[in-house]
Amino acid sequence: MLKLMKYEFRKTWYTKAIMLVVTAIAQALYMIGLYGERDGALLAGMIFLFFLAVGSILIMGLESVVTLHRDMNTKQSHMLFMTPNTSYGILGAKVLECGISILLAGAFYFALGVLDFTLLFAKMGELNTLWEYVQSFLADFTINGRPLVFDVQTMSLLTFSQLSGWILLIVTAYLAVVISSSLLNGKKLNGAVSFFIFLALEGAAAWLTRAVTSRIASTAVAMTTGGLIYLVIAGVMYYVSALLMDKYLSV
Amino acid sequence: MITCRQLTKKYGSKAAVDAVDLTLEPGHVYAMMGPNGSGKTTWMKMAAGLVRSTGGEILYNGKPIGVESRRHVAYMSTEPYFYNWMTARDVGKYYQDFFDDFSMEKYEKLLQRMDLDIAAKVRTLSSGMMAKLKIAVTMARDAKVYMLDEPFNGIDLLARDEIRTCILEEAAADKVMVLSSHLVEEMETIADWAVFLKNGRLVEMRDLEQMRSTDHVSMADRYREIYGHTEG
Repeated sequence: MLKLMKYEFRKTWYTKAIMLVVTAIAQALYMIGLYGERDGALLAGMIFLFFLAVGSILIMGLESVVTLHRDMNTKQSHMLFMTPNTSYGILGAKVLECGISILLAGAFYFALGVLDFTLLFAKMGELNTLWEYVQSFLADFTINGRPLVFDVQTMSLLTFSQLSGWILLIVTAYLAVVISSSLLNGKKLNGAVSFFIFLALEGAAAWLTRAVTSRIASTAVAMTTGGLIYLVIAGVMYYVSALLMDKYLSV
Repeated sequence: MITCRQLTKKYGSKAAVDAVDLTLEPGHVYAMMGPNGSGKTTWMKMAAGLVRSTGGEILYNGKPIGVESRRHVAYMSTEPYFYNWMTARDVGKYYQDFFDDFSMEKYEKLLQRMDLDIAAKVRTLSSGMMAKLKIAVTMARDAKVYMLDEPFNGIDLLARDEIRTCILEEAAADKVMVLSSHLVEEMETIADWAVFLKNGRLVEMRDLEQMRSTDHVSMADRYREIYGHTEG
């Protein structure tokens, strides 16, 4: 499994390296703005970092789905499927590599965000007033009907549940790709049917998660439970995908 | 060692392999013969565990083809299949990571013999060099079954000689070799058995020595008899 994960990482490391370099540039811009007291650079750095944090995680997921599609529908499939590994191992390595990359990237950008805000408030003490204003502004926002509290714990749990939701979305896309390449291979409207299957599964997973978390009073517990439910459903989707690969996939 | 019974693979209503019964024994080099679309590649892919059958069964040492058989079966596809980012060295490392029977030392020797640079990027290789790389990495395994699909495709005469030598060196009493090629005369110098497929069906399986001595026909003659009217 580790060897498979190593090659999964190798397939995507170039994109990850580019994202890290761009992040370093944006962070440098932010620091120049902060300590050189250049408001334009500070604002540009903040905006770039925000979009990089969201964009990197989106790109990682999308690239992973595209890689799976390529690994099942081009001659490169032989590289994976002629090796003595089960479908569960092959797909498991993809899910784990992608999931770990997303969680690590999420943790990295979250930590970077905390660091940058800390530096900002340390440098500009008067921004505390602005911070209080942001807090009161955010109080109008809700998560599943509950007010959003802007503190480290809530933001950590929110990040966890959002990342888990994104992982579920990716694994659901994996299942749709597997269905398209196995059960529906060569059939008419293959792409459209598998896309509708993806939408239906994603919708069902979201409905189920909301049905459970809406009954939980504590926001923290609800977000944790929601994130865990996403991961459990992702596990089920993974199992079904691997089973279909094992029984029906020809490359 | 490899047995298939009523093995069938259908794509829609068309059968690529149709109810084939076959047993391949160790110690022989089998030439899988037939024109395009006769089912050679599909049969090999099923034996390699890449394609699922839609009927019948295919067994390696009495067990269905699967993870265990892939440890012992070295399959070389006719199309290039390495990842674009790889160098020839990466290809060797990949095989070393996944196949216990792979020898990096033997691989490096084969690359040298075939005049290939281990640092060469696979995406820059010509079709002939790619064919040699595929052969080198496949034959660097000490597998029980070798299946080479069109190993002489797109390569010059000298490289062809190298590949033929390499295949014959690996042929042993405990190994099964299966080769497919359109170069019938070339195959006749390597194989001792011929498997003739036509439209996915097994026409016949012949011991070439016996065919030559009893029927007084070569493999090329028999090929013409079987497929002559098909190929015009």
